[in-house]
Amino acid sequence: MAGIADFLDSLIGGLDLICFCLAIGGLFWGLLVLRPWQHQAGYNAVLLQKTILLIYKGAFWLAAAQFFKIILKVWLMTAILDRWPFPEFASTTQFIGGIIRTLLTLGLAIYCQRVLAVNSCSKSHWLTAAAVAVPMLVSGAWLVHAAGRFENTYTLMALTVFHQLAAAAWIGGVFQLVNLWLLRQSQQVETTLWPFLLSRFSHFGMVSVVMILVTGLPIALQYIDSWNGLIGTGYGNLLMVKIILMSLALGFAGLNRRAVLAYQASGTYYPMHHRVPYYIEAETFVLVTLLFTAASLASQPPAIDIPSLTATWQEVLNTFAPQIPQITSPSHTALIAGEAGRVAIIGQVPSLAATEWSNYNHNIAGIFLTTMSFFAMLSYIRQLPAPFAFLNPAIPYARYWPLGFVGLGIFLFFRSDAETWPLGPIGFWESTFNNGEVLQHRIATLLVFVLGLFELSARLTKKADSKLPFVFPFLAAFGGLMLLTHSHVGFQAKSAFLIQVGHTTMGVFSLILACGRWLELKLDKPGKEYAGFISVAALFQIGIILMFYREPLY
Amino acid sequence: MSKWLSYLLIIASLSATAQAVAHAVVTDYSLKIRAIHARKPDQVELSFNSKIELGLSQIFLVRKGDKLELLTASMGKKQGQIIVHIPALTVGEYALKFKVFAADGHLTEDVIHFSVLP
Repeated sequence: MAGIADFLDSLIGGLDLICFCLAIGGLFWGLLVLRPWQHQAGYNAVLLQKTILLIYKGAFWLAAAQFFKIILKVWLMTAILDRWPFPEFASTTQFIGGIIRTLLTLGLAIYCQRVLAVNSCSKSHWLTAAAVAVPMLVSGAWLVHAAGRFENTYTLMALTVFHQLAAAAWIGGVFQLVNLWLLRQSQQVETTLWPFLLSRFSHFGMVSVVMILVTGLPIALQYIDSWNGLIGTGYGNLLMVKIILMSLALGFAGLNRRAVLAYQASGTYYPMHHRVPYYIEAETFVLVTLLFTAASLASQPPAIDIPSLTATWQEVLNTFAPQIPQITSPSHTALIAGEAGRVAIIGQVPSLAATEWSNYNHNIAGIFLTTMSFFAMLSYIRQLPAPFAFLNPAIPYARYWPLGFVGLGIFLFFRSDAETWPLGPIGFWESTFNNGEVLQHRIATLLVFVLGLFELSARLTKKADSKLPFVFPFLAAFGGLMLLTHSHVGFQAKSAFLIQVGHTTMGVFSLILACGRWLELKLDKPGKEYAGFISVAALFQIGIILMFYREPLY
Repeated sequence: MSKWLSYLLIIASLSATAQAVAHAVVTDYSLKIRAIHARKPDQVELSFNSKIELGLSQIFLVRKGDKLELLTASMGKKQGQIIVHIPALTVGEYALKFKVFAADGHLTEDVIHFSVLP
């Protein structure tokens, strides 16, 4: 069961950050944006109670996540060390700090539910809630990356906590905006509140972003000491992904800001209600992914510690170099024959068959996706140019392009982990639950298959109000998350990184695919068309990366 | 919270990662500059980039045929340094396989190969 424990251990970091943003970001929102004690026109009990409920739920689940982290550590250590980790574990900072943080967070949750909820307009109660949160924030400093460092330990711990605070202020605020929009949609709050609070948050969000940069930059400079470290290590790569995701989120924030300014200048109301909410929804996709990437980053060794395992920028670029896709696979017998030597510790023999098997899988998946993206583009066209007019009768069939996902799912089911069931000798349950990587592959396979079925149904349904089309962006974002956090065990650190860099790039494009499709479904013209084009272009780009994929020999 | 935001969070959580958590890495080891010779017990110094919980860490000697033998270890004089006690060995190829628990809560597994000289 080590695979599941490993799997859950990585998951819990992202969930922890989401709950942290809900709780702490919600407090910032209440204190600095909402300011209920000012009795702004339009504020009502529903708004205040919903706001506090989000903070309470965030704090409660944060406490649960923190406690579950400790259980997972015990589970993981028992599995890996093959013995019960107590009493040694009880004296570690992780255990003591984790228990303290759990209790302090629980205290915050209880205060919000029992006291703040019944005094929601009292400034002193909001300030007390913030004061109750402070010890929890301080205790969290002993659980971060920096706590194990030898140099500048306390400075780095403090910077990390302030970085998390700034991120929570921004992301938690975006969660509250989504909450506000839903209340507005269900007519539980006045229409005027939406532009009013959006405008207030706009200023607050800008300050938060500046604080994220001010606190994040020194941390980055401490952990990454060269350009090569930024480009050629897993730590640097995930940091770059974070920067890209943050830029994407800021792009949406910029669009929102423009709409707010237009509203303030000329009273232009349309974008505030027909575009901004959907930009915020897409921004939420990006920010949730950003939090999981941040959690993943914390498990990477800092670039400064692994100079001998750092790839050069030429090696990184080479992973994207165009090559002829490999369309023949080594036999399964050849692959299995090389496995014993490949996984041996003493006398390890790299397996060419294993490398070629993997190249074939990735390249064929790339051909699937580029072909699908071609048909997806075709499905948007009503008529082809004159020289190709004879193909016009075939255009209606292009909408069946999601069938390609079903085919890809079946292909991956047989090919992903050849040493396991159905092709290999290791049983289905044994491989799935004892190996986190196999478990991830199984989920990805199911995801691709289900994605195809849902999207096909969505494209064929005649119901105008069908919710089926919204499944695709969710699952595509999910796929992006898997790619961004996917690991490759059994490789040397440098080889693992060179594989990771392609997967993280595809993860970013998957997120663009998801956001593009979401906005295509939600926006009006012309934004809808741009978003749809960007979405399909992202799918095409993922296909291209896969087609040129080459795995290091190991 | 909105229904769709809940879905997103659930989906996000399901995407859990199977990271080979490797925050603690060996930054230096004595085998780089000092080889082990046959038929004589020896010590290997491993320097990590992070504080290590020795009581929750294991270091194995790997012999030909991937046979594992648990070794004893103690904390070194420098921060993050571990001294591994190596028994008398015959000439050949060996490895140190370690599973260490870093102070920041990450469990790391890694292997260092070495040769025993005459």
